[in-house]
Amino acid sequence: MKNSLYGTDEAIIRGIREDDERALAYMYKLYFPMISHFIMSNSGTDDEAKDIYQEGVIVFYEKIKDNSLELSCQIKTYLYSVCRRLWLKRLAEKGRYAVKMNDAEEYLPMEEDVQQHEENERQFGIMAEALAQLGEPCRSLLEDYYLNMQNMQEITEKFGYTNSDTAKNQKYKCLQRLKKMFFATYKPEI
Amino acid sequence: MIDNRIYEQIERYLGGGMPAEEKAAFEALLQTDPRLATKVREHKQLLQAIQQYGQRQSLKQKLNNIHRSMEAEAAPVAVTPAPATPAMWQVFWKKHMQTVAVAASVSLLSVFGTLWSVQQLKEPVQQQSARYVELRREVEKIKQEQRALINGILNPEPEKVAPRPARFSGTGFAISSDGYLVTNSHVIAGADSVMVENKAGLKYKVTEVYRDKVHDLAILRIEDPSFEGFGKLPYTFKTDESDLGEKVFTLGYPREDIVFGEGSLSSASGFEGDTTAYQISIPLNPGNSGGPLLDDKGNLIGIISGKQAGQEGAAFAVKSAYLLKVISELPATDNFKLLTSPKYNSLSGHNRPQQLKKLKDYVFVVKVYN
Repeated sequence: MKNSLYGTDEAIIRGIREDDERALAYMYKLYFPMISHFIMSNSGTDDEAKDIYQEGVIVFYEKIKDNSLELSCQIKTYLYSVCRRLWLKRLAEKGRYAVKMNDAEEYLPMEEDVQQHEENERQFGIMAEALAQLGEPCRSLLEDYYLNMQNMQEITEKFGYTNSDTAKNQKYKCLQRLKKMFFATYKPEI
Repeated sequence: MIDNRIYEQIERYLGGGMPAEEKAAFEALLQTDPRLATKVREHKQLLQAIQQYGQRQSLKQKLNNIHRSMEAEAAPVAVTPAPATPAMWQVFWKKHMQTVAVAASVSLLSVFGTLWSVQQLKEPVQQQSARYVELRREVEKIKQEQRALINGILNPEPEKVAPRPARFSGTGFAISSDGYLVTNSHVIAGADSVMVENKAGLKYKVTEVYRDKVHDLAILRIEDPSFEGFGKLPYTFKTDESDLGEKVFTLGYPREDIVFGEGSLSSASGFEGDTTAYQISIPLNPGNSGGPLLDDKGNLIGIISGKQAGQEGAAFAVKSAYLLKVISELPATDNFKLLTSPKYNSLSGHNRPQQLKKLKDYVFVVKVYN
């Protein structure tokens, strides 16, 4: 991994857009110490620093992927601001209000991005729960089909259905159940 | 089975794998069938959610891998591999550092605040108790001046110049028949001239012969040409230490008239363990300094020197043994025959008033002018 390859923010963003994992890894390693230091100096632990930082990176990553990010500042500032916001929320959830943050960097208010991220998180949480409740083999079946993009033939063989129609039938039943469970708890916020 | 086929259709529609004709037909159907439209919308949402969920999972996986590789890179640098989870106390400390800090500072503040304020309250008492009060009297100058003024009005004799009043006064007593007296060193401190006067009205000018600031003793000699000697001293000097509890008394001039004070010897050491002095329980006042301390038999056992402020009945007297020591160290002069002079004691065997009658002529008020 050559530093010069991703020397600028633009290079990193381009790398991420092109699904270059090395760009993501480079950026991840570059800014982790900053966030880690911030969290640790504001009564957080190592693990919490990792959590918050990964969330921050996800927000950034998804924005890039969406092409919806108009980066008006450095990646560094963006990540710091998002992580700061996330950490404040985390502290509030823990019932501990940090009266004063020890800030090492300048930051921007990141209300919208963080809110969007939280909405997504909520949805993912519900989805994860729904999938967990679904049980096997429904869960694996749906994951294989929708996430791992296996075709019905492969699935039929893997799960030992007599023919692909049975597999399809099973898949729809599973999907139906998932849908019910998902929409039972998830009300999209408009 | 009908349901399945509809869903398959919906999926194909959403996936964009529908032939144009069928798509047009399906879209037309959507227009007319609101239930179908809802189903399509929900399905779309669900599929999106699943897919995003999948992406998120894989992204998290990726980040975790990156994190692990980063830690792996960092690990060899460290001398000892860092523990995967920080120690309990570290976590605890990090979480509660601020609270602990506040609590600690509050408790420290209150502890030291309390100590400080207690100290503040105690300090004046301590200061006083630690203070040794020298009992020379500062004569109330203003009062005397006022009196002189009134006298001046009552007896308007303009020529007469009123004698300047003494600034300080103490007590002294004769130690030899040829005009040597002893008093405290602090009594005559800073003196320009010193006068002595006894109850009989005899008034002499004296000069300082010797001063021992350590033992607080001063030897004075009467310089007056009219002085003819005291005659035989009625008391003797005790060379050895007196016993605890012995009855002792003194005569002194805490005011214009001579005052008798009586008590007992309460300790063989003086202020702060000073072994050259006794502690005595005689009520003393400024002006008593330099007075003789005698026991029941009329032996001179000490010289009143001071008392401890803030302590009841703790007065001090320099032991006579030290007076004798001081005298023996004096440069020998012809007419100084103290050690031989009071050979026997004419006070012993008399009752107290008789003793005092004999004694009082040898006790002087020492007036200090400056």
